[in-house]
Amino acid sequence: MRGGDDVSDSTQLERRYLRLLAFYPKAFRREHEQEMLSVLIAGAAEGQRRPSLDEAIDLVSNAIFMRMWQMFTKLFVRPYEVRHRRLLWAFRIVWGLVLLGLAMFALSCGSWWALWFIAGAAADFVFGYRIYQIAQSQPPT
Amino acid sequence: MQEATFLILTALAAGSQHGYGIITDVEQISKGRVRLRAGTLYTALERLRTDKLIEVDREEIVESRLRRYYRLTPSGAERLAEEADRLRSNADVAMSRLEMSCGVATT
Repeated sequence: MRGGDDVSDSTQLERRYLRLLAFYPKAFRREHEQEMLSVLIAGAAEGQRRPSLDEAIDLVSNAIFMRMWQMFTKLFVRPYEVRHRRLLWAFRIVWGLVLLGLAMFALSCGSWWALWFIAGAAADFVFGYRIYQIAQSQPPT
Repeated sequence: MQEATFLILTALAAGSQHGYGIITDVEQISKGRVRLRAGTLYTALERLRTDKLIEVDREEIVESRLRRYYRLTPSGAERLAEEADRLRSNADVAMSRLEMSCGVATT
């Protein structure tokens, strides 16, 4: 445990720890950065200003391991349904934009029936979003 | 099961603990032999959590620092008991064979 009398030392140490923690994946950092920082600070010697070499190697190597592990699971373990859902969204957006473009073009030529195109694209998004919500509420395991 | 994992589960067996608490407890349990570093600890915790052997118990802010407490799940306790059993039976066999072979008492 460290005494808090020298503020500049501890903030310097904290900043350096944070720089090492930055190697971790973003999602992990969001959840664990503050927690790990308090563990690191608790384990630091009084007046310590920089992480030890051991600590730095430990943090960076574990961070890289975690990143590689995540990349692996992302590539091979992600369920088919999730990829399908995402791909469908990309497709829907592209298709919606094409419809919208066509409608704009027809409107500019004075064809009011092209409004139906816009209604169609809007309906596509609305129903698509409903399907997405239903799919989200039943996540594939 | 790796020794570090076994010791982490053992540290949590008596009740929930936060990260630094686990480090000091593991050091005590192993009589100073195993001193976990933060990165190693959190890689292990992350894996144990995805395997549902531990879970988050609660969070506290102490001196404006976040502490997250972890505890064993029932399946974590079961797993630890199995592992302890296995280690003990191996150790028993080792000791009894040593005594048989040369009659030298080990202290």
